[in-house]
Amino acid sequence: MGREAILKSIKENKPTGIPLPEIDLNNFIEDINLLEEFKEKAQVVGGTINELESSETIEDVIKKQYPNAKEIVDCSKKLTSLTSISISEETNPKDLQNIDLAIIQGEFGVAENGAVWISENSFPVRVLPFITNDLVLVLEKEKICQHMHEGFQLISERERTFGVFISGPSKTADIEQCLVVGAQGAMSLSVILI
Amino acid sequence: MAHAEKATEFNKDEAKVNWHDKALWYVREKRDKSAHGVIGWEHLRDVASGIKANVLSNLDNYLIEFEKNAQNNGIKVHWASDAKEHNEIVSKILADNNAKKVVKSKSMLTEECHLNPHLEAQGIEVVDTDLGEYIVQIAKETPSHIVLPAIHKTKEEVDELFQEHLGTEPSGGNPEYLTNEARKHLRNKFLNADAAITGVNFAIAETGGIVVCTNEGNADMGSHLANVHIASMGIEKIIPKEKNLGVFLRLLARSATGQPITTYSSHFNKPAKGKEMHIVIVDNGRTEQLSREDFRASLHCIRCGACMNTCPIYRRSGGHSYDATIPGPIGSILSPGKDLTKHSSLPFASTLCGSCSNVCPVKINIHEQLYKWRQVIVKDVKQPVVKKSILKVAGGVLANRKLYNFSGRMARFMLKYAPRFIVYSKLNAWGKARDLPEVKGQNFDQWYKVKRKK
Ligand code: SF4
Repeated sequence: MGREAILKSIKENKPTGIPLPEIDLNNFIEDINLLEEFKEKAQVVGGTINELESSETIEDVIKKQYPNAKEIVDCSKKLTSLTSISISEETNPKDLQNIDLAIIQGEFGVAENGAVWISENSFPVRVLPFITNDLVLVLEKEKICQHMHEGFQLISERERTFGVFISGPSKTADIEQCLVVGAQGAMSLSVILI
Repeated sequence: MAHAEKATEFNKDEAKVNWHDKALWYVREKRDKSAHGVIGWEHLRDVASGIKANVLSNLDNYLIEFEKNAQNNGIKVHWASDAKEHNEIVSKILADNNAKKVVKSKSMLTEECHLNPHLEAQGIEVVDTDLGEYIVQIAKETPSHIVLPAIHKTKEEVDELFQEHLGTEPSGGNPEYLTNEARKHLRNKFLNADAAITGVNFAIAETGGIVVCTNEGNADMGSHLANVHIASMGIEKIIPKEKNLGVFLRLLARSATGQPITTYSSHFNKPAKGKEMHIVIVDNGRTEQLSREDFRASLHCIRCGACMNTCPIYRRSGGHSYDATIPGPIGSILSPGKDLTKHSSLPFASTLCGSCSNVCPVKINIHEQLYKWRQVIVKDVKQPVVKKSILKVAGGVLANRKLYNFSGRMARFMLKYAPRFIVYSKLNAWGKARDLPEVKGQNFDQWYKVKRKK
């Protein structure tokens, strides 16, 4: 039924011989400071930026910014004294419903839109960055690309399971176009630049 | 009911119409600001349009490639010729998994297939989890916009709905309070769902993966918590290569809301361990649209909603006046392809100003297609007497230069001297909603001649 009929109908009705265009990246050359651009965009989309001072640790920042967080999952392995709930691929995602804070290592950031790419390799349970109340992404300052074209080059060789570009906290404007931060996903997003 | 009659209904509440008009124009302005901030924006649009044209010319092969790669990754692929087959496939997957509670994220395709009533009739609970869609679901309505489903509702109306359905306190329509109450309610639904249904923004032939974009995170909350994930997609959602996403993800959110990208752009390639993932590929009239040379470019649409936000008719008539799943300019070229008689008034719900085509990120020639549908419709569909006679007269007048000049002078004379009741009579639909311009004495022709002499 469906499959053969659909493919047959497409074959009979499709136009022919339209080549796949190539993008010319020269059109997007811009003289910008990638880090500054990223920081600006990440805040425009509602995120917070923390640039680590040389005397500070990630843990200092977390303690200061989330003094009340109790249930913490640290996938970045950057915490030393704060205890982290350990999770694995076997963890039932529903057990993460009361997580206050998740810390995940970002692979790279995108300057044009403040998005950070994270892939399943860095967090064993897919729902974690969404179900956690607050989300912290740790990102190395050097790992920022200019635009999405570069972004897709960077992930072209990955093992494809699940991955996501995250730009800011979850949000909605569905009630009279008033922007409300904290819809169904994380209530806040903070990027710690190291 | 024709578009104009439904639009008249919407226009009864003038304050609301004015708000609707302004709110959408504001979104359009945000889109402009965002687009102008990207150097090479027009190149992006050109390439996007070119990729989509290539997709249509190789659609069968891309779909086969997509299916093979998805299956290799452990995803189950299904094909549905029409809405009925789609709904039956979804029912069967749910029955096989003994799923009784379903959470759904935004998918215009499942709206188009009327999936919710189909599942509800089988005793399955379906909850729409995009806040806007949740609002219209409890109001027992349909989305009036593809990106902003509840744009036709005031915050006071939402407040009342939530009091009734969620037991909230009267808040005068406080958006933060209401959103947070919905969050709590939906959380519970996510945690108890047996299956999640999502739409698909892009399906990549080269990898067999799909990308779903949301701002709320609802598609991810649903699909990662439930044991079964069903993603429904129209055949036209295919793109050839993963790197093409670079083009489309740069265009989509900027065109839709002015954001540089949606909060979440989730790339699903393999089901999580111990879970099932299904993709349903749906035709439902799309191959027929593909056969219509003049209209096939409508299948390029990436559902950003920009053509709605910019359309002067849409903004002042509301999405429901189109009486179709996809309203606005793009809906007005898609719907006649599905049911020409039912939707014959839609291609006339346009000023042909071309603003839709100007903002469309994939460069669909929307206003030209509207014009082409008009030609088809005037030939094929019985027209109301008034419209027909006006078109006939107009055709005659436009064809005859002397008559054109005379009638122009006559119209200006009438505007100046005729009593109000004639100018604003029923025969002149344009006089209904606005006052016609004051006549300054000269028309362009006369003005130009005078200027040239100087
Ligand atoms: S037709 Fe173009 S502008 Fe309208 S929704 Fe589709 S992609 Fe967006």
